[in-house]
Amino acid sequence: MISALFYLQFHSVKNRLTIRLKRLKQPKYLLGAIVGGLYFYFYFFRFLFARSARPGHWNAARPMTDALPPDPIFYESLGALILFVIVFLAWFFPRKRAALAFTEAEVAFLFPAPVGRRGLIHFKLLRAQLGILFTVLIFTLLSGRFGAGGHWLTRAAGWWVILFALNLHFIGSSFALTMLMDHGISTWKRRVAVIGLALAALGVVGAWAVREFPELKTANLANLDSMIGYLKQVLVSGPLPYLLYPFRLVVKPYLAPDGLAFLGALWPALLLMATHYWWVIRSDVAFEEASVEASQKMAEKIAAVRAGKMGAAGKKLKSKRPPFALHPGGAPFVALFWKNLISAGTAFTTRTWVILAMVALVMGFSLLNSPGASTWPAVMGMMSGIFAIWALLLGPQIMRQDFRQDLPQADLLKLYPLRGWQIALGEILAPAVILTGVQWLLLILATTCGVPLSRGEFSAGLVLAIGASAAVVLPALNLISLIIPNAAVLLFPSWFQTGKDAPHGIEATGQRLIFALGQFLAFIVALIPAAGVWAGFFFFVKYLAGVVLAVPVASVAAALVLALEAGLGVMLLGWLFGRLDLSAEQLA
Amino acid sequence: MIEVQGLTKLYGEFVAVNELSFSVQPGEVMGLVGPNGAGKTTTLRCLAGIIPPTRGAIRICGSDLAQDPIPAKKQFAFLTDEPRLFDYLTVWQHLNFVARIYQVANYEPIASSLLAELELADKRDKLPGELSRGMKQKLAIACGLLHSPKVIYFDEPLTGLDPFGIRRMKDSILKRARGGAAIIISSHLLHLVEEICSHILILKNGRKVINGTLAEITQKFSQQPGDANLEEIFFRATSEPPAPPPIVADATKT
Repeated sequence: MISALFYLQFHSVKNRLTIRLKRLKQPKYLLGAIVGGLYFYFYFFRFLFARSARPGHWNAARPMTDALPPDPIFYESLGALILFVIVFLAWFFPRKRAALAFTEAEVAFLFPAPVGRRGLIHFKLLRAQLGILFTVLIFTLLSGRFGAGGHWLTRAAGWWVILFALNLHFIGSSFALTMLMDHGISTWKRRVAVIGLALAALGVVGAWAVREFPELKTANLANLDSMIGYLKQVLVSGPLPYLLYPFRLVVKPYLAPDGLAFLGALWPALLLMATHYWWVIRSDVAFEEASVEASQKMAEKIAAVRAGKMGAAGKKLKSKRPPFALHPGGAPFVALFWKNLISAGTAFTTRTWVILAMVALVMGFSLLNSPGASTWPAVMGMMSGIFAIWALLLGPQIMRQDFRQDLPQADLLKLYPLRGWQIALGEILAPAVILTGVQWLLLILATTCGVPLSRGEFSAGLVLAIGASAAVVLPALNLISLIIPNAAVLLFPSWFQTGKDAPHGIEATGQRLIFALGQFLAFIVALIPAAGVWAGFFFFVKYLAGVVLAVPVASVAAALVLALEAGLGVMLLGWLFGRLDLSAEQLA
Repeated sequence: MIEVQGLTKLYGEFVAVNELSFSVQPGEVMGLVGPNGAGKTTTLRCLAGIIPPTRGAIRICGSDLAQDPIPAKKQFAFLTDEPRLFDYLTVWQHLNFVARIYQVANYEPIASSLLAELELADKRDKLPGELSRGMKQKLAIACGLLHSPKVIYFDEPLTGLDPFGIRRMKDSILKRARGGAAIIISSHLLHLVEEICSHILILKNGRKVINGTLAEITQKFSQQPGDANLEEIFFRATSEPPAPPPIVADATKT
């Protein structure tokens, strides 16, 4: 049985690699692979092998202990704490029965076959090794790139221990949770018990910390350094290192300073993993039915991703109220704008807003003590300005409710009785309007916060003039920044394919790099005429009437140039869409 | 209503459709049949303006599809076997969207009537992800018929429909033909084609084998009247070996 499973895995991997290598005959994959390969080598791989011999060099070889503070227990406990949180979540959140993820093909072949329950689990563990080894490679490259010391082999082996131990624990915990469900213990009862245990452990540590350390003072929490210092003390002494001992065993091999220490740390970790393996194998829990259901859901997600329907591949979509009433009369392209606004609405989930709020908070705190931002209004003004710039540069890559989303539906768009430029305009308006709206809000905030702080050369009038000028220029600028990636998609649609023929891995990274660079250069070139007009008007009006008037006048002139460019860009997009031959690209 | 002259589509050196000419008049239902790879879907996609023909002319209600595509596209609908829907628009929002694209004034009663006819009235606020495959197919049909097209292309129209849906679909096709629409149906279900089509066009390797009414092609390929159904005619026309006789269990053995 195991030999059959090895056969399946070996030939699957071999054939997949062969297909990808054969694909390199096509320029789009070859170019992507070359650029991606160079990027990965220069950014990651050379740090893995080519350590500098010069002792003072930033990339000099050094033992793992050089990257760590003198007390290794701190990092062991910190790593163990992270693992503890992960394991806590694995026991707290799940609501469904244990399901081992098999593909539909594996379910179809293996479940009816004379393969016992143990065989299926072994197959699952064996297959998981591919993903684990790939993740080990990524983590080893990342940790090596960002300064972790020690030999890369011990780092890689250490990551393997951590990831495989977690994998085994997740399977074991899912079986245990299913057993609890089978014995009538509801999800909420279980969650209360898990939280209770965690709180009990926290209580023990807290009680000890309160008794052992001086009263907590607000000054201790005034800055990050003192908070870290306090945390260090709690992590390296008292009951916490003992409570986290099993997790420390898993982390220890990764943090071993040399080969001998690694071997010494390895055997207890392997023993722990062997215990987990015994636990998983001995659990008498039925997972087959849930696994079949899970495999169907996975197949649907994969099919959705291959069809380019990324939204459908993720969480369940919810219907959204339309942003405005769409009447049957009027310009037809507005229907596309309306449709894409609805689509964009599905992207702004509660989770998105929470993440944005957290980023803003972290940024705000870190800016609070920086020069020129000693008060919260100054911080908010600065942050708003930074976010507005990010929205301009990164927004078009995030807001993709245009041809990039609808390319798989190109045949549907081709059916509509609309001219090419109408389809193009309808497609790119939604992200342009959303980005402009967000940027205007940020500009209002930045200007409002900036005016009271204005002094010297930066008078209130100038701050207002800059804000208003940016607001005038941004709509056309957003349109141009969206036209460029959409033109790339229509010029090279097969480079943006989803599905089985889509590039993966190194080729995908290389292609993205090529397009990112190309789009950046195209954007710079597009700005040149407007920049020239702006400069000309600015210096002329400044000479006549001063800076405060020169900025908005120059910006209006530049905005007109940008609007003209955007109009021509829309016509170009329409022409490109009209000549898009779906039969050649096999997109539909 | 539909006039095709010399339609040719090449993929490199491969000839998908070769000098195809035919016409479909108002009220006619033409069945487009052929073996796999005959060029049926390529023909329909050229007629729908999705892919450009290499050569040839296509006129829809008098408008040249290549030279004047907008008036032509306003007149037809293309309904494929795989429903093409937007995942984030509800059923009603799909119809609202199509109404604006095709400028269907006062679309609400038409849309409501279509939803009732297709048994989707209680699914107005559902997303495609919440619909079964058959319901998605019905939604795609509703979107296609909202602007009352004078020309309709169906590519395997019954895929995914339950028996009730199949009966309603057939009735709907015939109703629209009686209303003056010109319809082309591409299907492998020859009994369906035989049942509802007034004309048949048989394709093989991108070429027209025969085009005419069922009576005309029957006359050409059968030795005497009534000795062959469309299936048999299809096999003779495309020169496939006859299908093996069905295996009947030997009643003498127990």
